[in-house]
Amino acid sequence: MTGFLDNVLNGLALGAVYALVALGFVVMFKASGVLNFAHGSLLLFGGYLIAVLHDDLGFAGALALAVLATAALAGALDRFLLQRGGLDEQSAHIQTIVTIGIDILLFTDLARRIGGDLLPLGDPWGDAVTELGPVTVADSRLAAIVVSTVVIGTVFALFRFTSWGLSLRAAAEDLEAAALMGVRLGRVRAGGWALAGALAALAAVFLASFPAPGLERTTGQIALHAFPAAILGGLASPVGALAGSLLIGLTEALVVGYQSELHVLGEGFGDVAPYAVMLLVLLVRPTGLFGGKGAARV
Amino acid sequence: MNDRTPVAPPALDVRDVTVRFAGLTALDGVSFTAAPGSLHALIGPNGAGKSTCFNVLSGLCRPDAGTVTLGDTELTRLAPHRIAALGVARTFQNIVTTQGTVADNLMLGRHAKSRAGYAASALRLPSAVREQRAHLARAREIAELTGLGHHFDSPVGLLSYGDRKRVELARALCLEPRVLLLDEPVAGMNAAERARTADVVRELRAELGLTIVLVEHDMGLVMRLADDVTVLDFGRTIAHGTPDEVRQDPEVLRAYLGTGTQEEEAA
Amino acid sequence: MSDRLPGALTRRPARILLLAVALCLPPFYLDAFWLRIGLFSMAAAIGAVGLSLLSGTAGQLSLGHAFFLAVGAYGYAYLAGEPGPGLPPVIAAVLAVLLAGAAGGLFSPVAGRVKGIYLGIATLALVFLGHHVLLTADSVTGGFNGRSVPPLELGGFAFAASDPELVVLGVPFGAEERLWFLGLALFAFTWFTAGGLLRGRPGRALAALRDSETAAAVMGVDVARHRSAAFVVSSMYAGLAGVLLALAFRRVVPDYFSLALSIDYLAMIVIGGLGSVAGATAGAVFVTALPLLMTRYADQLPLVAAPGSTEGAVGPTEAARYLYGAAIVLVLLYAPDGLHGLARRVREHLRRRRPRTPATDPVPPPPQPAAAARPKEHTP
Repeated sequence: MTGFLDNVLNGLALGAVYALVALGFVVMFKASGVLNFAHGSLLLFGGYLIAVLHDDLGFAGALALAVLATAALAGALDRFLLQRGGLDEQSAHIQTIVTIGIDILLFTDLARRIGGDLLPLGDPWGDAVTELGPVTVADSRLAAIVVSTVVIGTVFALFRFTSWGLSLRAAAEDLEAAALMGVRLGRVRAGGWALAGALAALAAVFLASFPAPGLERTTGQIALHAFPAAILGGLASPVGALAGSLLIGLTEALVVGYQSELHVLGEGFGDVAPYAVMLLVLLVRPTGLFGGKGAARV
Repeated sequence: MNDRTPVAPPALDVRDVTVRFAGLTALDGVSFTAAPGSLHALIGPNGAGKSTCFNVLSGLCRPDAGTVTLGDTELTRLAPHRIAALGVARTFQNIVTTQGTVADNLMLGRHAKSRAGYAASALRLPSAVREQRAHLARAREIAELTGLGHHFDSPVGLLSYGDRKRVELARALCLEPRVLLLDEPVAGMNAAERARTADVVRELRAELGLTIVLVEHDMGLVMRLADDVTVLDFGRTIAHGTPDEVRQDPEVLRAYLGTGTQEEEAA
Repeated sequence: MSDRLPGALTRRPARILLLAVALCLPPFYLDAFWLRIGLFSMAAAIGAVGLSLLSGTAGQLSLGHAFFLAVGAYGYAYLAGEPGPGLPPVIAAVLAVLLAGAAGGLFSPVAGRVKGIYLGIATLALVFLGHHVLLTADSVTGGFNGRSVPPLELGGFAFAASDPELVVLGVPFGAEERLWFLGLALFAFTWFTAGGLLRGRPGRALAALRDSETAAAVMGVDVARHRSAAFVVSSMYAGLAGVLLALAFRRVVPDYFSLALSIDYLAMIVIGGLGSVAGATAGAVFVTALPLLMTRYADQLPLVAAPGSTEGAVGPTEAARYLYGAAIVLVLLYAPDGLHGLARRVREHLRRRRPRTPATDPVPPPPQPAAAARPKEHTP
């Protein structure tokens, strides 16, 4: 039973981190209609900055700078590169493929710098654990749950209560109408991308901290697990992304936790379980669990 | 390639068709019959349900109630491509052409009439090559018939608006249809182009004996070409009859022509 | 166009014959390094043509191409090898291609329903799940270390270093030379069939799907059937490419068939120009040959370190990846029709500059730079 609780808690923590990434996908998609394949590399960029800077600036300083820099990079990529391809929905498809090119550039460069190293991020949790009744949890996992909850709450508030959030939702509904109402699409879009970049840098911290050994060149690829999470939720629904992330996190943790019982599926099935779940869901609901009208954007 | 049906086409019968979208009733028990070989016009103000009606006829929209039958065949439950294969062709109000030449578009219109599959086309089997050549010849005939003969190999993107509208018509004809649904065939055309298209439609009827259902805002054209007119307003049939009868109908005057004539004068 | 048809008919076969002769020459003059570049390029071109049909012509984004390549490569290695049924290699190759097609067909419940970006991500799942299967099903795939690939044999003639020994016009024909001609034959077959598909009834139906599924359905195109068929056909080309790659590598390993490979193929068709056979081929040669050439000439290139030198330096592989990452971005944002479109524009430009047709030139050259500069004035 404690084993089960352990797995569930692990799954929730993993889901909370995926939610940061998946929410990024959704924000960018709502803002621009583009699915950002370079998101994993943005995450790696944020993590790399923290790894390089935390000796000089301390963890908090490095984190703040990395979040800002990743946000700036993401915003600039959209504003100065993608938006050259146009703001309409037809070019969003092309720009999705452009992000693959951007990913190749970013990832090649970061991977070259990181090489085969494992970079510590200097986070304050280290490998400390906390006893919660019958279960033992890593502090980093608790931090992941708490921080993600707060941050995601803030993002939802941004959506609902700020004029930027209103503009974003209006643009996602109807681009032309939003433009006619005076929404500055270019800025609103880039703002969405910057927000997603900030979330990715934050997610890097938790993906690279205990029990992970540190930041490696492949850390960004873990972000790919947030693809199924975002798709399950329907891509255009923030709530859906949250639900999808928790589902994926739990699936992964349970599959890993019960590896020996699930031996028939092969070793390491936990890594690909999110994709299996996603295929099954798409078979039944081709636009995801929460994919309603907004999903028709593509 | 002469696979035109020699017998008169079957009647297109629309019975009590009702379509609702999220609480809004787009069509409310609409009925009419397009007699074989006749030109039946469907008119009404914007939002009256004409386009929804066309979508039901071509299988894009499944009605909540009612039936559409072509002869003995019920169309209501069939997929769009099956309806097309039965010989119901339609044009779109907005021009829908693919890239490429007029020939490419017309050959696409021959899709349901031809058979070559993936293997035969990939290996360029003699049967596929022969079929393609025969259909190309027929497509060229249809281009001549619609006045597009000299544009046959031109890219569609380079044609004038009126010519592109006619490509739509020619492509629909490539299906060798028994029933032709024309969705605003002259919208946006100038007077000369309108007259030319009207002539083409008239010739088509005479030569091919098609049943035509026409949605059009140009009242002059409708009154000149139509045998029967059904008037829709807010999804309901408010009048039905010959052009002359409909023109006199007080309800129609109130609902449609009262505002419609002003629009016509402005246009 | 048709009024020029007689002229084209006399010229086109001549051009093709010339090209065929030119492509037969390299084994007599170039060493194995160049032949391998050519061989990998031809295999990539076959796969890229398949993806181009699916993503370029039919407009269905696929990131799962590596999976279908793997089915072809492993299918051949298993069917022709030990452990495995040990079928005659030619039969194994044909079956491997059919197997890849069947894999594409099995995916059709998803491919027929899921659209756009959702389909792209769904195909991503194929790559990851496929990779997982390759790693875990050791008895068939050989697990992490993969398995060796038996050479192709055709009527007692092996596409390998010997058996029988062969010397043509004084040049000893080893594996590379023989495989070159095999690759050439398969590549020609691909061009022939893809051209037939694109210019025939299926190609027109697929293009219609890409432009508007609703309109295509009304014109009589069975949408679900053709969406699935596009996947099957594209997977069969991928399977054929996989077989040829397996023969060229002589060993198949799971890590080769990763997401990066799928992205390579996407890059090929994007750089080449979506939806054209020639473009896909050009893109395939570019993406395949670039890293190999840069590795070979690393010491002569500025800014590029030799392979295996100090960590953190820009090695040839990285340099190649920078180049083609940048190529994707630049091509899509500034020349969306890719190399194919670029070549066409250059050709048109040259034709227009020929003095014998001055009257047909409606646009004098000077306004063009002005038109190009105009959008800049509007930016605040």
